[in-house]
Amino acid sequence: MTALLALPRLALGDRRRRTLAYVGLSLLVVLGVLVAGGLAADPAQTTSLADRNLGPSADHWFGTDRLGRDVLARTLTGLRLSLLVGVAAASISAVIALLLACLAAVFGGVVDRAVTWLVDLFLSLPHLVLLILLAFALGGGTRAVVVVVALTHWPSLTRVLRGRAGEVMSSDYVAVSRQLGRGRWWIARRHLAGHLTGHFLVGAVLLFPHAILHEAALSFLGLGVDPGEPSIGVLLAESMRYLTAGAWWLAVLPGLCLLVVVKLVDTIGENTRALLDPRSHHL
Amino acid sequence: MAPHGRTARTMAVGGAMVLAVSACGGTAGGTATSESPTELRLAIGGEPDDGFDPTLGWGRYGSPLFQSTLLARDADLGIVPDLATDWSVSEDGLVWTVDVRTDARFSDGEPVTAADVAYTFTTASESGGLTDVTALAEAVAVDDDTVELRLQRPQSTFVNRLVSLGIVPEHAHGDDYARNPVGSGPFALVQWDEGQQLIVERNDDYYGDLPDFERIVFQFTGEDASMAAASAGQVDMAAVPSQLAGTEVPGMRLVPVPSVDNRGIMFPYVPDEGRTTEDGAPIGNDVTSDLAVRQAVNSAVDRELLVEGVLEGFGSPATGPVDGLPWYEPASAVGDADPARAARLLEDAGWVDGDGDGVRERDGVRAEFALLYPADDSLRQGLALAVADMLAPIGLEVSAQGESWDVIDQRLHADAVLFGWGSLDPTEMYNLYSSSRAGVEYWNPGFYADADVDANFDAALAATDQETANEHWRAAQHDGAGGGFGPSGDAAWAWLVNLEHTYLVDECLDLGAPRIEPHGHGWPITAGIAGWRWTC
Repeated sequence: MTALLALPRLALGDRRRRTLAYVGLSLLVVLGVLVAGGLAADPAQTTSLADRNLGPSADHWFGTDRLGRDVLARTLTGLRLSLLVGVAAASISAVIALLLACLAAVFGGVVDRAVTWLVDLFLSLPHLVLLILLAFALGGGTRAVVVVVALTHWPSLTRVLRGRAGEVMSSDYVAVSRQLGRGRWWIARRHLAGHLTGHFLVGAVLLFPHAILHEAALSFLGLGVDPGEPSIGVLLAESMRYLTAGAWWLAVLPGLCLLVVVKLVDTIGENTRALLDPRSHHL
Repeated sequence: MAPHGRTARTMAVGGAMVLAVSACGGTAGGTATSESPTELRLAIGGEPDDGFDPTLGWGRYGSPLFQSTLLARDADLGIVPDLATDWSVSEDGLVWTVDVRTDARFSDGEPVTAADVAYTFTTASESGGLTDVTALAEAVAVDDDTVELRLQRPQSTFVNRLVSLGIVPEHAHGDDYARNPVGSGPFALVQWDEGQQLIVERNDDYYGDLPDFERIVFQFTGEDASMAAASAGQVDMAAVPSQLAGTEVPGMRLVPVPSVDNRGIMFPYVPDEGRTTEDGAPIGNDVTSDLAVRQAVNSAVDRELLVEGVLEGFGSPATGPVDGLPWYEPASAVGDADPARAARLLEDAGWVDGDGDGVRERDGVRAEFALLYPADDSLRQGLALAVADMLAPIGLEVSAQGESWDVIDQRLHADAVLFGWGSLDPTEMYNLYSSSRAGVEYWNPGFYADADVDANFDAALAATDQETANEHWRAAQHDGAGGGFGPSGDAAWAWLVNLEHTYLVDECLDLGAPRIEPHGHGWPITAGIAGWRWTC
């Protein structure tokens, strides 16, 4: 009997542990990329005109580009830049979402309607078009990319947080608090904050892959990171010209790395959500 | 073309897989029929923003196509009569007398007269356009076929205005002339779809040798699109960037054309003493103002390697702004790819690495400077990065920085900049090094100034015959006594490479002997268009 009881408990523990392991491993790889990217900053720009356009080899795992620069070093530096831009943009975006959601929930009425209208407006505009227009208006550059990505990614998270906040605000204990004469800010602090934290964190992490991909897209189009900086978008844009000459490694390897990093970050977000969500019965 | 055959073949091996695919695709050349075609399709660059009015600058890089010029250059850059039959310069160099041919007609049937020539020069001098005719005092038609061009001051380079300024008809030079040009050139405009294409037809009234082709279509596409069009057999000629020039295209051959289209490093020549321009841009740099640093850069860079590595072999090392032209002084060059000599120069001037960080210092100043290039120019980026890596071993720290022109405009008097120039007119050399041009537009941004060089420039401009002028132009580069602006003297710039312009040309199209081309604006390849032949 005890054995029968222990079995599902063990499996339960395993699942939870596995989820934690996923998160831990992914985090480790992403951090590793960050560190390696920092270390590779110099080799990424060092030219070696004697070793131009080499395919992948033991010396250069990802090959070299038209100036003999090591593509692996450039990819790592590019990923690091993408991650930093992603962190900055996703954080700003999430904070905007949290502020708007709280304002809508706490004040209700006109403020709520205004926030909802703003969210609907931004969601109705094609994402990439808005991104390109804003980036063009700001004149490109790394800072412009952060601002543009941050300004365009808050609406969906705002909607989620606002829904959750609305739920909290209409609950009985909030009503009781109101009856007891508690102010709006007290309620927001004591009841809202705790209930929104989980959603906020997960939402922020899930915004992150979007931010990275959009940074790459903007840089690819020449509206993002300065073309002298080795970001993944810049690497991909540069590689286009050499594809017809057979230099597949310039596009394929950095592109795959970007996909892997995005997938890892997504894994972190999804698994964290599963861990935090009390309704994930399977854990 | 011969020296590049091997490079081209080696490169082609790399692209073999992709080529095998494209080879199965189209036939070679859409116009390759058994009869020789009457129409050519060219994708050789962008269109002029301002249209086709020579008095506003059209054709200043040569070959105005719709108009004809008084004089022309032959394949050896010699000056030959064109619309003029003869010309002479007065003793004092102030009056240029030109005899105009009487059998020339504009494409609307009206004859070309001396009055049209006078009108063209007067208008160009007043328009403030990009064709620099500011030395002209007045242009007078003495009779039906003689014009006197009177100058404010002697200017031997004025002959280049006679070579580059297309003659416009006084009777048809209205506001919309730039879109509907009428001229006495070998072609007349049929249709211009801005941003797409320009269609021209042969002017059968042209007084010179009639071109073989009745109709020419210029397609305005980007470099990559031109390459694609060539691969698909949709054009007979395409200008391609040197990075793609190694790609073999069936039915097309690669024609590299030498040019004076050069790239070089401009050094701020004066120390930083807190001076600024009227706009507030700082002037001067404490590192590049040192002769030893500039000479060390000139000696240390390996120009052959830059040509091979960054230009894919399509170019040549450059030692000055006018390599290969009649007024070039070969003695101004110094040996390069010699880091040992460069290190010695720095050592002797007191630049030593005292703290062992790999960068020299002198009097508390680190031997470091920024090298700016336009961020979207991949060729200059490659040169800047490669040069920075070549200078690191001799203890010079150069940071290559891609910036927008707006930023460069603010910093070009205080930081080294990778510029590109190249003209068949020595006036450009004057503009780059004359102290009177310091800080004017993009001319002489480093505030270079040397009295002897200025004196030679003045003497060259004042000369009334070309040979005397050329002697002074040469002396300005290298005076044999350690002076001159060239690398052997003040080393005011470190010129790096001359490009070869690379074209994919249908195997059946014979371009004759291509002539040396200027900096890459306009369509310099069309200078010999009347002599092009279809050989299949």
